[in-house]
Amino acid sequence: MERGYWIRSKPVYTALLWNTKATAHAVLAAGEGGLAVVKLFQQALPEQGITVFYSPAGASKDYLPALQAAAGADLQVFETTAALLEAWTRYLASARMGLRIYSAGTEKFMWEVTDAAEAFGILNNDVMKELTGSLARSVYCVHCKSLTHEVTSNIATCSGCGRHLFVRDHFSRRMGAYMGLMVDAENPGEVPEIEEIYP
Amino acid sequence: MSQLQVKVAAIDDVSAGVRHFTLVDAHGGELPAFSGGSHIVVTMPAPGRTYRNAYSLLSSPENRAHYEIAVHRQPQSRGGSIYMHEQVKVGSVLDISYPVNLFALSRVAKHHLLIAGGIGITPFMAQIHDLERLGGDYSLHYGFRSREHAAFADALKARVSQRAVCYDESLGQRMDFDALLRAQPLGTHVYACGPQGMVEALVSTARALGWPEHHIHSEQFLAPPVGEPFTLKLSKSELEITVQGDMSMLEAMEAAGVDAPSLCRGGACGRCELEVLGTDGELQHHDHYLSDADKASGRKIMPCVSRAKCGYLELNL
Repeated sequence: MERGYWIRSKPVYTALLWNTKATAHAVLAAGEGGLAVVKLFQQALPEQGITVFYSPAGASKDYLPALQAAAGADLQVFETTAALLEAWTRYLASARMGLRIYSAGTEKFMWEVTDAAEAFGILNNDVMKELTGSLARSVYCVHCKSLTHEVTSNIATCSGCGRHLFVRDHFSRRMGAYMGLMVDAENPGEVPEIEEIYP
Repeated sequence: MSQLQVKVAAIDDVSAGVRHFTLVDAHGGELPAFSGGSHIVVTMPAPGRTYRNAYSLLSSPENRAHYEIAVHRQPQSRGGSIYMHEQVKVGSVLDISYPVNLFALSRVAKHHLLIAGGIGITPFMAQIHDLERLGGDYSLHYGFRSREHAAFADALKARVSQRAVCYDESLGQRMDFDALLRAQPLGTHVYACGPQGMVEALVSTARALGWPEHHIHSEQFLAPPVGEPFTLKLSKSELEITVQGDMSMLEAMEAAGVDAPSLCRGGACGRCELEVLGTDGELQHHDHYLSDADKASGRKIMPCVSRAKCGYLELNL
């Protein structure tokens, strides 16, 4: 997108910071999100109990030694994000109010964590998020309603209908995806130059 | 503000100092629909001045044949609750506002924790109807000074005994907010209505335990506190009005014929906010609406409950 362009629906991700008013803390990270968790544990620790859920899938480095040193017995490691999300849902079912939630990783991962929490009455704003590793987007095709993941370019080929989709900044929190619109609807075949802008 | 005319169909004393009024449409029709947690503002034309107080509707929102309110006779009443207790009889006709809900149940909550103190039970009486009808998961914790002050406790026991826990302070029974809030499942919303000290303690405990702000709901209707008289200057209307010590700015403006906006009249909703242009004294904020920063800025005031200790206060109206 254009430099500085922002619309209300486009999420703003920040750095993880402990919420000291809490009864418990759950930290969820995948891949490069491991680094964000190591950084989080370099801050003064909260008094309440902490549980860390981490899946190394997709990491460019091995963050496990640093995470183990930081979180120790509070760390649970999962081979895949699917296994992590299953454990997360089980954890949510017995959690109590006052739980603070932190997530770090790709946008897709963070919104999967958020989606699971929303089923338990947590609003998406109450999951703190730090985007790490890649700006790759999930794109929702407004024509065939398919989701295309890991899109790094301004124009994506829809995984469902094969249309060339212009990737907008209009973001759906429910789907964790950006809106994609057919880019050559007016003049079929006239597709602008495809550039990698979400590396 | 458009008004409804209602007739008092029945009056019952339900506990010490609490009188229960059943109101029907004065013209025999159906009353407007409302949702649990709504209140109405009753206009009381006392000799010499008009009182307007907000009262929560406690009847079933499904029943449009009548509304029910309960009025606690305030020991330090400025006149409103005494008027309701002494002047209003069966057959009296009253002007009331349309119902307004500033204390609505959350539609996304997984569990509703209702905390009532004394007469603060009234909005929950209607909300329980909604929760029972919608199959909402809830628990009600109701504290009162003693058995004789326990308005509707017997009705609650009969209707929803497994959901309601009562605390009789005269027997030393007290709610433990910290333990109660810690025990709630994720997705719980808490609602508090009752005396100021109780509501503030509940809200601050919930915040300290990390409850997100939008999971915490509270309602208190404040009576305008008594202060010293001062002169109110209205710049656009080019009027100067004296605000008596026992009158709010809003009441003084209304008595002078000024069409000032208002809704809840209790410092909760924010509708009556006015811009302060100047004063030779200090503002006395009493509302629950303005942020601390707004209050400190000295540029905004809620004339329904707030006033000033000054010679004059100038507002942009």
